[in-house]
Formats: sequence, structure tokens, C-alpha cells
Amino acid sequence: MNENIIEVRELKKKFGDFIAVNSINFGVRKGEILGFLGPNGAGKTTTIKMIMGLLSITSGDIIIDGINLAKSKEVKEKLGYMSQKFSLYPKLSAIENIEFFAGISGLGKKKIKSKIDELQDIVQKDLLDRSVDKLPPGIKQKVALYASLIPDPDILLLDEPTSGVDPEVRRNFWQEIYNIKKRGKTILVTTHNLDEVEYADRIVILHRGNIIVEGEPSELIREHGVDSVETLFKEAVRDYEGN
Amino acid sequence: MIRLEQISKSFGKIQALSKLSVTFPKSRITIIAGADGSGKSTILRIMLGLVKADSGKIFLKEDLIRNDFSKITGISGYMPERFSLYTDLTVEENLNFFADINNVPFQRKERLKNILLEKTGMIKFRNRKAGDLSGGMKQKLSLSTILLSSPEIVILDEPTTGVDPLSRIEFFRIIESLKNEGKTIIISTPYLDEAESGDFIIFLKNGKILKRGDINDLKDNVPFKLIRLIPENNIFDVMNDLKKRGDVHKNFFIKGKYLNFIGDPESSILKGIRGSEVSEEKPGLEDIYMYYERKGIFENSDGSI
Repeated sequence: MNENIIEVRELKKKFGDFIAVNSINFGVRKGEILGFLGPNGAGKTTTIKMIMGLLSITSGDIIIDGINLAKSKEVKEKLGYMSQKFSLYPKLSAIENIEFFAGISGLGKKKIKSKIDELQDIVQKDLLDRSVDKLPPGIKQKVALYASLIPDPDILLLDEPTSGVDPEVRRNFWQEIYNIKKRGKTILVTTHNLDEVEYADRIVILHRGNIIVEGEPSELIREHGVDSVETLFKEAVRDYEGN
Repeated sequence: MIRLEQISKSFGKIQALSKLSVTFPKSRITIIAGADGSGKSTILRIMLGLVKADSGKIFLKEDLIRNDFSKITGISGYMPERFSLYTDLTVEENLNFFADINNVPFQRKERLKNILLEKTGMIKFRNRKAGDLSGGMKQKLSLSTILLSSPEIVILDEPTTGVDPLSRIEFFRIIESLKNEGKTIIISTPYLDEAESGDFIIFLKNGKILKRGDINDLKDNVPFKLIRLIPENNIFDVMNDLKKRGDVHKNFFIKGKYLNFIGDPESSILKGIRGSEVSEEKPGLEDIYMYYERKGIFENSDGSI
């Protein structure tokens, strides 16, 4: 549990003169859910995109399962990603999306069929042929999560997966995340819904490209003498801003 | 201010709204809350004439609106779920553009622009391109663009999706000040924690009203008891176990680190869950919504249960 499956060392990202991520260091332990928090523009998505190899690094290193991301493209196969916009093709149906993602993951016809059969167990049949842009957000979210798991990644990176969905859908989603964790996967998740942070094993709070808080939610709450992660978050950001 | 009477709307086989009657009073914040697909946005769009109702009537200050929705849109500011800003224009250029298309006279525009930049704390960002703003700032700029026409009615469709908690608090502080200026505020949201900032609430499900009322009254007169547990075992494992026991799990829902139970504090079901802490709590809006939603209790069209 203490072994880091992701290690981020002195990671920096500059856009022109703007420092989006300022030489940060943190680790994601194998089999944990790490909550990655911060106000809009804190650098969360930028960090996740660098881990995914979707964005170049200005300086620093990302080590995944002992291998430096800069030195091996294969290591990316260990990663699954679900973005804020759910990474689905809006004009394709749920089935066509899964066929596409399974196809680019190199799965054979038989496997693709079994993936679609599995999908029918979790999404109502009459919705499967509808184009994704016409699906309710909760269903879209389910399909996107399912798509991100198709390559059977060891690590799942979820960028604001619960943005804009109602509390009941969020609850069901987190139940699913917990079930995925129980299958041995490691999960890095960003969210603005701070009540969800209670489900994370550890949290990292990022602000203006810097890590300002890191630890286990219950320990942090005790240590800082606050009633919730929400209060902790607000106080940490205000303290950083000096007011 | 605005009254909807017996409004129904279907999209194909889907009944989006069913004989819905609601009133949105002046100088109040009315929250329309409900799950995705409950009909929240459809109400707003029908009110603005963007979607035509199949049946029912709409009144503005007791005048029946037949086809002339400009009577409503002319005094309303509408912020849709996806902000419509010009990302290549600066904050100030966006404000100028929206003022000009609303025919705001020059002097009034300059005065309003400064008031809004001050109110939203965006003066120092006036020359920044909208595309380079954070989510919270984009949201405040979008709100400012609709306030340039000095609307009497402010309609916000899920305004805080993707916006961080600190920006959400600041946003509702601005909304409160608009209410105090006498504006009618109508907000749709799936987030019941922020709904607490409203005066009235309408809980919607499948195009019908589950419950509505003054938020303080609803919270002071709940017809159930809320028990909060912190189980010894992982909360999701406990929920998985409850689901294996038939319908029992419908009385439970997870909220943060707590397992909430709606029902009798002496229930034997509770005794079967090993909990390190059990306490009775005052229900919040999310708990009240869950009670009506899980029980499937709807209001009648006359407002009775």
C-alpha cells in the first residue's frame, strides 16, 4: 500500500511566462484513491495531462511503476483517463464509442463483443443506440468510465468526473469507483465537490501551481482542528492568499 | 412576478413537464432543484419562449403571455449552462459587446461596467482575454454580461457547474446582493448544498413537483427523522451489504463520510450495522429531497400532497 505507483518529482509547466505547475512533488500509492483538489486554474488538469503524456513537461520527472515516462511510451498503457468532458464521441452511440475504444486498444472481435455485452448489464438497452450527446449526463458518465477501463489500466486518472451531475448519480459513481479500487486499481481523481473527498484515502490540494496541503483526510481534519475537508480547503487557500 | 399554470411539455415519448404550476416571486431567490433530466432547464426555456409548451399558461405580473415572449425576455437576463463569452475578446470587450447589442447608452454602459467589475472583483482583469480566465471568473463575467441590461428577472441555468467551492460562495454573495436590489432570481441546480442559499425551493422529478416551499419552513417542518451513522466498515461495503437485503437500502444514502438513515431511530435495521457513532441530525435540503424522492411522493397540481 505504501509503494508509489506514480511519483511526480519537481514537475514544472510553464505557458509563456505563466507558471501553471511550480516544481511539485507528490506520490500516488498503489491501490489508493488520491483526491486532487484545488480552485479553478490551480494546475490540476495540467498535471494530469502531463502524467497522461498529453502535455509536454517544462522540467521534472514523472515515474510510473518505476519507469520514467520520458523514456518509455509503453508505460502509458498502464493509464486510463476520463476527462471533464467524458472523452466520448458525441455523435456516436454508446456501443459505437465502446467499439471504437476497444478497437484502438487492440481488442479482437470476440473481446469487443463481450465488452458490449458487459455494457448492456450496466446501461439500459434502449439508451445504447442513442447518440452520446442525447444521453443524460449520468449515463454518459457511466459509459465514459467504462470506456476508460477497456484497456484494463492499473491506474485510472479521473478529471472532474462528477462535474454537473446530481447527488444521486455522484453517489452511484463513487460506489463504482470504490468497487474499481477493490479490484486493485489505483485512482487519481480531481473534484470540486468536497463532500466526495471523504472517500479518498489521501488528498493533495493544489493552488496556483503549488501543493499547499497533503495527507489523509481524517488526519488533516484533526491536525488543523477543522470540521471537514471543505473548511480545510477554504482555510488553506485563504491562508495562502494571506487573508 | 412570473407564474406558470398547468404547463406540460413532451419531447417525443418523453414527458418533460407534466401540468406544472409554479410562481416566481419578486425580490426572492427561487431554486429549481432536481436530478438530471428532471425538467429544470425546460421550465426556464419555456418561460423565455425558447421552447414552446404543449399546453398551459404563462403570466408576467398577472398579464397572460400569448406569443409575445419579448415582454419577458425584455426584462430578463438569462445565463445558460454553457457560458456564451467571446474567448478572444478581453473582459471589457465582452462587456462592451453585450452592452451594445442590448442598446445600452454609452454613459450608462460605462457606469454599469465599472459597477459590475467592482462588484465581481474583476477590475484588475478587465484587459485579460475571456479565454484565459479561470472557471470562476468566466462565470462572474457571464453574469455581468447579462446584468448590463439591468434585468428585473435573472435566470441562471446550472450556473456553478465546474466552478470551484470558493468561487461558488462568492457567486452566491453577488446573487444575494441582486436579490436585495429587488430582482427576481431563478436558479436551476443539481447541487442541493448551494440550494441552501435560496429563499424558495422546488424539488422536481420527471417533470413533476415532489415538494416545494420556503426553505426555512421546509427545514423546520420535516416529516421524518434523520439518523447519521459512521459505520466501522467502509461505507460502500455497508451499502453493498444493505442492497442484498431487499428494499431496506432505500432508507439509506451516503453523504460524505456519513451513512444517513431516514426512519425510526429504534429500527432493528440500524442495530445490524456496526457503527462507531450514531446521532440524530437536523435534516438539510438534500436529506429532505431524498425523503420525497425515495418515497416517490409527489405534490398534486394544487400544491397538496
